[in-house]
Amino acid sequence: MNVSEKVLEELKNVYDPELNINIVDLGLIYDINVSNDGAALITMTLTTPGCPLHDSIVSGVKFCVEDMDEIQSVEVNLVWEPAWSPEKMTPEGLKMLRG
Amino acid sequence: MLPQSMGSETNIKLPFSFIIFSTVALVASQILLLFKGVMIAEGIFRTPAVWSAAHLLILGWALMTAMGAMYQLVPVAFLTPIWSEKLGYFQFFISSVGISLFAACLYFYPQYALFPGLVTLGGIVLFLIQMFMTLKKQAKPNVLTLFVGTALFCLMFTIILGIMMAYFLSAGTSSVHYQAFFQSHLLLGIAGWFTLLIFGFSYKMIPMFSLSHGYSMAPAKYVFGIYTAGLALSLASFFTGNTLLLEIGFFLLFAGFLLFAVHTRSILKKRIKKKLDKPFTFTIIAIGFGTLIHLAAFLAMVLHSTRLGGSLIYAYLLLWVALSIFGYLYKIVPFLWWTHKYSKEIGKKSVPSLKEMMNERVVIPIFSIFIISTLMVFSSTVFNLSLLFTIGQCLLSLAMIWFSISLLSVIKK
Repeated sequence: MNVSEKVLEELKNVYDPELNINIVDLGLIYDINVSNDGAALITMTLTTPGCPLHDSIVSGVKFCVEDMDEIQSVEVNLVWEPAWSPEKMTPEGLKMLRG
Repeated sequence: MLPQSMGSETNIKLPFSFIIFSTVALVASQILLLFKGVMIAEGIFRTPAVWSAAHLLILGWALMTAMGAMYQLVPVAFLTPIWSEKLGYFQFFISSVGISLFAACLYFYPQYALFPGLVTLGGIVLFLIQMFMTLKKQAKPNVLTLFVGTALFCLMFTIILGIMMAYFLSAGTSSVHYQAFFQSHLLLGIAGWFTLLIFGFSYKMIPMFSLSHGYSMAPAKYVFGIYTAGLALSLASFFTGNTLLLEIGFFLLFAGFLLFAVHTRSILKKRIKKKLDKPFTFTIIAIGFGTLIHLAAFLAMVLHSTRLGGSLIYAYLLLWVALSIFGYLYKIVPFLWWTHKYSKEIGKKSVPSLKEMMNERVVIPIFSIFIISTLMVFSSTVFNLSLLFTIGQCLLSLAMIWFSISLLSVIKK
């Protein structure tokens, strides 16, 4: 498992508190780039622009990844394009949401 | 890809101050109606106790809740930070003092209601300035801006008309247009301000809470056009006395509301979250009540059953405005407290979900009692049954007090 995959796995501990589903299964993580010196750049989105949980989720991502031994610094790039859509969810995420 | 800085950070103190004040006003209005409101059952609405309770309910609870909710929702829905938080606190202080004194004066010294009315007006004007300045900063105005902006204009005119009526009352003078002022005050305050505001924010919150995607927003502009045309024609009829204009106006209000209900249904059909949260379901039920009450108001108008006016306004305020707000408060209050308590913990340790912040088991009993008791009070006013009024009002007060306790119990989480 490379560092990016480890980061993705770690991000499964960050939950959207409204939906109670982790942000990876929700399909919010678009890209993870970790440089050789341990600087992580995480490109992600939210389910809707202006999500009131914007600050909480972004800080959660930072806190979670910063704690990893392989990571020295974290930057979160929040984007709205391409917009989130249900197709970006994992089958597990969809199953949780549809009950 | 466009990185965004949104400024939607939530300062919980300001919205919470409004919501706590409004909860106290809600309980006070219910106690007042319970002990002094029995004349409502005989169709007598214009008494000091009813004036006081109505303004505690409408200004103290519904308006203050709407203001508090807007301090949280405007940055979210319009991606624009509040213009001045300092002004927000000052406005809260002025509004809460003004409304408290106004309600007390209406009860004890209605002839002196003008001064506290002016203080209340000051608080509302400050709120309007705050919101207009905030909306002005919005980068890309949309149809939601139209709904909320028009609702704010309606609020402004409601207050101006209210102050003019208070002036007539205190000066002991009258105007040939007093009745038109009164009717316009009610229409703009209830259908103009509250309904357009709820429509506007519902267009943001319904898709957000149901996780709906791929729906069309095209009908929203028709909802706006038809509903505001209904408001305009009804207002014109109050001043001209043209009943045909009033009938067309009320029909358009019904048609606009019905279109909103149909549009909402089409949005919800596109939802991914199949099982909706219980309080949110009651917000959707409120749309059904609103549609039915608009239909009843139109039919009452056509059949010249003007006696039902007060009862229908009561039902509209409780089963549409209050029920919608109740449902949304169950989402807003836990969110505010969660942000205060857990937003810095997310990603570090396990935190509760927003749903776990509230006791959902009490939702169905509280909301069911609320709906049934409101229907009892409504029926008591239609059929002049004072015993039914007392039983219904007791149950309603119980539901509202239980609701208030349940809402504020979030701070224990």
